[in-house]
Amino acid sequence: MINFSIKNLKKLLFFIIFSFLFSQPIFAKTTITWWAEANADRDPVFVEKLQNVFNASQNEIELVMSFKEALNDVLRTAMVAGTGPDIVETPGPSYVKEYQEAGLLQSMERYSKQYGWQDLLLPWSYSAGVFDGEFFSAPKTYETMIMLYNKTLFEENGWSIPTNLTEYESLAKAIQSKGMHVFSYGSTGWQPTHEHIGGMYLNSYAGPDNVYKALIGEKKWSDPEFVGAVELLRKHMVDDGYWSGSLENYYALGWDDFHAQFANRGAAMMTIGTWTFQTTENVFKDISDDWDWAPFPNLTAEGGDPSYLLALGTTLSINGKSDNPDAAAKVMDFVFKNKAMVLDMANDFNFGEFVVPLKFTESDFGDNVNPKVKRYLLTFAEETGKGNYGYTTWTFWPSDPGVHIWKDMEVLWAGEITSQEFMEDHEKLWKKARKNNATLPVGKR
Amino acid sequence: MIILTKKAWIAWYFIIPAFLLHFMVVAVPSMLSLALSLTDWNGFGKINYIGFENFFELFDDRVFKKAVKHNIIWTFIFLTIPITVALACAYLLTGIKKGQLIYRLIFFFPYMLASIISCQIWKYMFHPLHGIGAWLSEKGYDFLVASPFTMKETSLYAVAWVDGWHFWGFLVVIYITGMYQVDNSLYEAADIEGATKWQKFRYITLPMIRPVFVFTLMIIIIWSVPTFDYIYILTQGGPAYSSEVLANHLYSQAFERFKVGYASAIGTLMFIYVIFIICIFGILQKLGWEI
Repeated sequence: MINFSIKNLKKLLFFIIFSFLFSQPIFAKTTITWWAEANADRDPVFVEKLQNVFNASQNEIELVMSFKEALNDVLRTAMVAGTGPDIVETPGPSYVKEYQEAGLLQSMERYSKQYGWQDLLLPWSYSAGVFDGEFFSAPKTYETMIMLYNKTLFEENGWSIPTNLTEYESLAKAIQSKGMHVFSYGSTGWQPTHEHIGGMYLNSYAGPDNVYKALIGEKKWSDPEFVGAVELLRKHMVDDGYWSGSLENYYALGWDDFHAQFANRGAAMMTIGTWTFQTTENVFKDISDDWDWAPFPNLTAEGGDPSYLLALGTTLSINGKSDNPDAAAKVMDFVFKNKAMVLDMANDFNFGEFVVPLKFTESDFGDNVNPKVKRYLLTFAEETGKGNYGYTTWTFWPSDPGVHIWKDMEVLWAGEITSQEFMEDHEKLWKKARKNNATLPVGKR
Repeated sequence: MIILTKKAWIAWYFIIPAFLLHFMVVAVPSMLSLALSLTDWNGFGKINYIGFENFFELFDDRVFKKAVKHNIIWTFIFLTIPITVALACAYLLTGIKKGQLIYRLIFFFPYMLASIISCQIWKYMFHPLHGIGAWLSEKGYDFLVASPFTMKETSLYAVAWVDGWHFWGFLVVIYITGMYQVDNSLYEAADIEGATKWQKFRYITLPMIRPVFVFTLMIIIIWSVPTFDYIYILTQGGPAYSSEVLANHLYSQAFERFKVGYASAIGTLMFIYVIFIICIFGILQKLGWEI
C-alpha cells in the first residue's frame, strides 16, 4: 500500500527533479557520427587509434565511427532523405560538388579560419575543397600515380629509369626482349584503371601546364598535345602490348593477378597509385627480389622533370543537416593537428589509406616507417612544392567527362574511333560541364 | 457493412498486405521513376522538369543503340539455345527410370549458385594466366589464349554462355514437370502406330506442354530486358561497350555519371517494352491460346 504523505511526496518530487536534471543534454556528451567505407582490416585501426583516442582526449564529444558497405550508395540515400552522419566521407571532389550544389553540406569556411586549416594542409589539397569561394571539403587521403619496378631485375640487367620518350621505349623493348611484359596492370573488377594510365600519359606527354590550361578552359582537349598523348597510349597499349602483354590480358587481370605477375618477374614494372605500397610489400615479403618506385617519366622527346599527379582518395565534410557542426569541426581539427596519430595510422596501412595531406617534415617520421614510403612522402611534398605536379582525372575532372576518359577509352582501343575523335568527344563533354557549372576546383598553378 | 463482410471479400483482405507492400516498394518507386524521366535530376539536388529531352537525347546516344541491339541478341540467344538444350534433356530424362533425381540435381545445380560464384568459376576457367587457355598453351596448343570475356567480338556471347549455363537447368525442371503431366496413353497409342521418338516429341509432347513452353518464352523475353548481374560482374559492359545492355547503361548513367533523370528515361522505355510484351501474351490468351 503506497502512503501518499507530504513527506513521501517531497521525496518523490526531489527524485523526479534530480532524474530530470541529470538526464538533460547539458550533462551529456555531444555525439558525432562518422560513416566510413567498411574494410575488415582497417576498421579496427580506425576505432582503436582514432575514435577511442579522440574520445579519451576530452569529455564533451563522443565520436562514433560506423563502417558501411557500399558507402557511396548508403550515404547518398541518407543525405537525400535529410539524415546521414555528421561527418560526411566521400570518394572525391566530384561527389562533394554534387552534395554541395544540392545544399546538403555546410560550409566549413569559418572553421577553417578559426582553426587555421589552410596552413596545416598542403595547398593544392586545400584548394580542391573550395567550392564557390568557400571551404566545403577537407582531404582525408591523398595519393599519386607512380611506377614500381623490380629493383633486383633492373640491377641484374643494367637497366635504369627512363627520363624521356626514347629511353622509355628503349627500355620497354629491352624488357620485352627478355620475354617479360613491360608493365603489370589490369582492369578486371575495376574498369576505371584506364584513367590511371590515361592521366599519366596526358600529363607526361602533353605536360601539366597544358592540362591545367585545359582544366580551366584556356585550351581545348582536342588540341594536338592531348590527341598525341592518347594516341601514344593507344600505340603502347594496343600495338605494343606494354601492359600485361596484350589489351585482352590487361582487361583480364585483377588486383591479385597483376601484383603476382609483377612479383614473379612476369613484368618488370607496374604503373599504379601509391595506395599499393602495402600490397607490394606483402607480395615481395617472401621472395628474394626487391622493389622500388620512381615517378612516371616525362614522355616528351627532350625529357624533363617528371610530375607527381595530385589526387585525393577521400574527403571529409560536414552534413548540412548536422545539429552539431561545431563538434564535427572539432573532430576534424583533432585529426589535422595530430600529425603523430595520422602518421601512426597511415603507417599501419603502409600509407595506402589515411594519408592526410599535412605538411610533413623528416623529423615527423619514426624509424618504423618504410624508407621507400618515407622517401615518397618527402619527395612528393618537395617536388609538388617546386611546381612539378600534374592532375588526376578522378580529382579534377567533372563526372561526365571523368567517366568518358576511361569508359570510352576502350572504344578508341577497339579501333572504332580515332584519337582525334575521342578527344573531340571529350572536349564536347567538357563544354557541357562548363555550361552546367559542373567543373571542379583547380588551384591556381 | 454487410457487404464488406461478405464471403467474396475475404480473399481481398488476404491480398491487402501483399498489395500494400508491393504498392510501397514497387509501384510507387516505379511511378516516381516514370516522373523522373522527364527531369534532369542528378540524384542529389533540385529536380527540374525538362519534358521529353531525355528521350530525344536517347535516340542520339550510340551506346543506348548498341545496348538495345545487345538486348535483342541476348533475348534471341536465350529463346533458342537454352530452350533447345533444356527441351532435349527434359525429354531424354523422362525416359530414365533410375537415378533421374541425380541428373535433375546436376542440371539444376548451377541455378542454385549465386551469380557471383558462377561468374568467378568461368572467369578463372578462361583466365589467361591460369585458366584452360594457359594450360593448353603449356601443352603447345594456342587455343583460348585470351579470355573470351575480354575480346569485343566474343564478350557478349561469352557472358550469355555463362548465364545460359546457369539458367538452362531451371528450364529442364519446368519442362520435365510439364512432360510428366502428359497422359501416358497417348504415347502408348503412338507406340502402337509405330511412331518414332522424334514424332512422339513433335506431335505429343510439344503440343501437350505448350502452356508451359509459352510461359517460358514469356519469362525469357521479360527477364532478358533487365539482365544485369552476369554482365556487370564479368565484363562491366565492355570491352568498348561490346557487351553493354540496357540495365548496364542505366546503371552507368545513374551511378557513375549522376544522370538519374536520363537513367529513368532508359528505365521507362524498358518498362514500356515489358508492358508491350505482356499485352501481346494477354491478347494471345484472349484469342484462346493456352498460356
